[in-house]
Amino acid sequence: MLGNENILTTLLLIPTVGAILLALLPGRNHSLIRNATLAITVLTFVCSLPLAWRLDVQNGGMQFVKDLPWIQAGGFTINYHIGIDGISLFLIILTTFLMPLAVLGSWSITRNVKAYMILMLLLEVGMVGVFVALDLVLFYFFWEAMLIPMYFLIGIWGGKNRVYAAVKFFLFTAFGSLLMLAALISLYFLNSGSSFNIVQITERLADGSISVNPLGEMLLFLAFFLAFAIKVPLFPFHTWLPDAHVEAPTAASAILAGVLLKMGTYGLLRFCLPMFPRAAVDLAPLICVLAIIGIIYGALVAMVQPDVKKLVAYSSVSHLGFVVLGIFAFNLTSIEGATYQMLAHGVSTGALFLLVGMLYDRRHTRLIEDFGGIAHRMPIFATVFLIITLSSIGLPGLNGFVGEFLILQGTFLTSHIYAVFAASAVILAAVYMLWMYQRVFMGKMINEANKQLLDLTPREVMTVLPLILMAIWMGVFPGTFLRRMDASMQKVVDRIEEVQEDQVYRVENRPLWNKTE
Amino acid sequence: MVSTTHFLVLGAILFTIGTVGVIIRRNVIIMFMCVELMLNAVNLTFLAFARHFNQIDAQIFVFFVMTVAAAEAAVGLALIVQLARRTNSVDIDQADTMKW
Amino acid sequence: MDINYTALLPEIILSVAGIVLMLLIPFVPKESQPKLGYVGLVGILLAFCALVLQWEGERGLAFFDMVFQDNFANFSKLLFLLSVGAITATSMHYLEQDRLLKAEYFCLLLFSTVGMCLMAASADLIMTFLGIEILSISTYVLAGYRSSEMKSTESALKYFILGAFSTAFLLYGVAFVYGATGTTKYLQISRAISDMDSYPVFLLLGVGFMIVGFGFKAAFVPFHVWTPDVYEGAPIPITAHLAVASKAAAVVAFLRILFQVVPDLSLQWQQLLWISAVLTMLIGNIAALTQSNIKRMLAYSSIAHAGYLLVGLTANSTMGAQGVLFYLMAYAFMNLGAFTVVQLVARRGEANVEIKDYAGLGFKYPLLSLALSVFIVSLAGIPLTAGFTGKLFLFSAAIQQGMYWLVVIAVVASAIGIYYYIRVLVFMYMREPEGEIESVGIPGVARIVILIMVLGTLYLGILPGSVLKMASEAVNF
Repeated sequence: MLGNENILTTLLLIPTVGAILLALLPGRNHSLIRNATLAITVLTFVCSLPLAWRLDVQNGGMQFVKDLPWIQAGGFTINYHIGIDGISLFLIILTTFLMPLAVLGSWSITRNVKAYMILMLLLEVGMVGVFVALDLVLFYFFWEAMLIPMYFLIGIWGGKNRVYAAVKFFLFTAFGSLLMLAALISLYFLNSGSSFNIVQITERLADGSISVNPLGEMLLFLAFFLAFAIKVPLFPFHTWLPDAHVEAPTAASAILAGVLLKMGTYGLLRFCLPMFPRAAVDLAPLICVLAIIGIIYGALVAMVQPDVKKLVAYSSVSHLGFVVLGIFAFNLTSIEGATYQMLAHGVSTGALFLLVGMLYDRRHTRLIEDFGGIAHRMPIFATVFLIITLSSIGLPGLNGFVGEFLILQGTFLTSHIYAVFAASAVILAAVYMLWMYQRVFMGKMINEANKQLLDLTPREVMTVLPLILMAIWMGVFPGTFLRRMDASMQKVVDRIEEVQEDQVYRVENRPLWNKTE
Repeated sequence: MVSTTHFLVLGAILFTIGTVGVIIRRNVIIMFMCVELMLNAVNLTFLAFARHFNQIDAQIFVFFVMTVAAAEAAVGLALIVQLARRTNSVDIDQADTMKW
Repeated sequence: MDINYTALLPEIILSVAGIVLMLLIPFVPKESQPKLGYVGLVGILLAFCALVLQWEGERGLAFFDMVFQDNFANFSKLLFLLSVGAITATSMHYLEQDRLLKAEYFCLLLFSTVGMCLMAASADLIMTFLGIEILSISTYVLAGYRSSEMKSTESALKYFILGAFSTAFLLYGVAFVYGATGTTKYLQISRAISDMDSYPVFLLLGVGFMIVGFGFKAAFVPFHVWTPDVYEGAPIPITAHLAVASKAAAVVAFLRILFQVVPDLSLQWQQLLWISAVLTMLIGNIAALTQSNIKRMLAYSSIAHAGYLLVGLTANSTMGAQGVLFYLMAYAFMNLGAFTVVQLVARRGEANVEIKDYAGLGFKYPLLSLALSVFIVSLAGIPLTAGFTGKLFLFSAAIQQGMYWLVVIAVVASAIGIYYYIRVLVFMYMREPEGEIESVGIPGVARIVILIMVLGTLYLGILPGSVLKMASEAVNF
């Protein structure tokens, strides 16, 4: 068995070594390459599972830590320092879980399969790396390095407008993160040049041994926040997302929605809140308003989309707005809800993109008006799609419900108005998703081309089945997940509350009807 | 009595003439001569200081400058000849194949 | 005071190799003249061995106090030898392809290397001047080496006039510094300055003129105007030489002067450099955006990179200086690699140097394109590559000194830079070629050079520790 401290390194190594091996395989043998990639990603997933049951749920700190010197010269101390806590645990498992499915969903790629699969594996290294890195430079390293495979995946295998989408994606993200680079170097020197250790810097910022004046804290917060807000994407930085999603190949869209967007919200939870709680509290009203605008705007725009994939893309803007709102409502319920929503969104939106991809493979169109009544020809597909649609809407018993409910409940404690606006979007979500479902699957089959549609192949069923099972599990037994997050989330919330106590701005924790009579 | 300052001022004047010449003249040979003028202004300055400090170092420096200037002239004139052969003129504006 | 020949052993070997090469030329038939490049390579290799031998040797002044024997000089010489070695190796193919069958080319390359080594080691302004001139005169000729091409002549002429012009400024500055301190020796000048209560106008003017002179050589804005034309017109390997080695030589000589001659005037020069850094980064990156010729694009990008180097110089700290050295090394690897690929893709007479000529290259020549992608990504400063670690160290130095605005401008400039770099990737991988892609011949030597450059770029990007350590020992003046 793997020692605890080596699991995470193994997770990084398997896809890396896999990518190198893949490069050595003959490029013509597509099925060999596909199956090899699948095997590598499944192996990674299996290796990530022990994390879940070996994690000490009482301990909110970092576990599975490995800390080795990496660059130690010329006044720099940069370590290969990795570890996870309750916040990152499930994001890693989500990543390793989605990867094999994304690979399975990539069977329709026939051009340059080898390069595609190598990029997918490198992408996995980058994503896992971001979630496990506990050294600021290491984090940035993975954060930026991961852009390259994604850029190529969109730019080479994407749709008609792929170059525009790829470049836009790259520039938006790179621009945001460069300011973060400046901020993290500043943190290093504020930490008297001793280390880039995220845990240590967070603790020192908390106990005051690193002192930052309020303006400095605000600027640092903003530098980090901008990088994450673009990644999330928070309104008004979301414009890269619909382009990237629509043009990206199916699997890349699924990964983009499923994992990449979570890196933004993860960053908020890992850096912005615990490191700069004062700035976070000060700016919370503004950020919450942006999040709510995003929620409603995303939902409204999704409603009028003629293209299914674009609709799903905008629904992501809306869902991620919920996550940000949950995080900036600053209480345990809402933050746990936000994290839960990240996972749920990863599962259901990832699945939606894969499903849309299957439809596209058959008809080479994604326009809603080209379909109608296809449930008659594709009953299995229609059923699967319905389950996922419902999970995305947040039907109780499925994964989407738990997160949204917790977020709304938590937000309600903080501000009723926010909660009311956010809740309205839940209705909108039902409208656009079900309406889309109705127009695509129900009614009469008018379009002749749809008469030839074939139902899902066993491979495709294999692709979505795990996602459906996961959606149901997450809906029925949220405790499996929440239990493991508690301790770490509590730490974040404690830090915020410490600050709120001596802050002018206080969370309105009063019930609405508590009037002095 | 001619003081160090006089030499320096003369040097500065020559240097300025050279600088302005390089900037405003378009004839490559004249531009090149202006550069030489600048170098000689520098030499004059060196010698003025050498006399002032009563040192030999700067005089050696002047020899180096002269030698190097000669080498530079060899290369420079060769290039000018090449330009002249190609365009039948020594106008630097003839050399304008590359623009933004 | 004595003549310690071992201090200048690499330079002596290079000069001897150059002379031997010159003597061999009449005995070699025209067609095989480019093969004489191997003689040059042997010379560089021997010089490299000499450098390694004296790596741990004695430190201090040598050659009548004219040169330093220190880690800084050694590090710089290593950089120059590496870069000139790569250029010599790739030039052989270039000369054959373009029918430039004159092996004086390699002599000039070797002599220019001697000049660069002297600039880096110099302990006396006379020596610095001589080093600069040995370098410059060789490169004037090299820039005009494609004598049948108007562009090349034009490039050489512009380089010559502006080079000589800037030398005059540099010399005038030296004269003033001499006038203010009565000596041309680095350490004595620095001592004289620190003894002063107030600084005479002469001294400040002199330092200012010297900054102008070096600004020209290293292509700092606003003294950069010659760069694009000269880079575009010169033969591709020489463009690489100018952009990498010659610029590095100017920067290290400048660095030594700033840190060892005029450290007491840092308040004054830091302001000048701050302004120049900002302008250099912004103008370099913005002008590169609109370029369609890849050589010209790389020329502007090299201006932009000089701007990042200026950030390190402006910081005026050990960390800044070590960052500059590290970045120069990183820059050498990625830029030499990029230029080598550009040279291979280019046809005879330097056709095929437009960015659109790279369309469709990605899947036709996967390894070559992969290599170019690594270099481009590195130039853009994305992690896993030397460009990122280099920027990290440079920006850190500025932040350590509290120059936050400078760093913010630097990161904005880098973000602009990313756009034109990834444009090359777009063409290589995401655009269909207009016609048939012409086949690219990749000679074995070029393969080795590209491989070394890729490995170097990745090594400095992933495990920069050892080179950073060398750089930090080198700036321990």
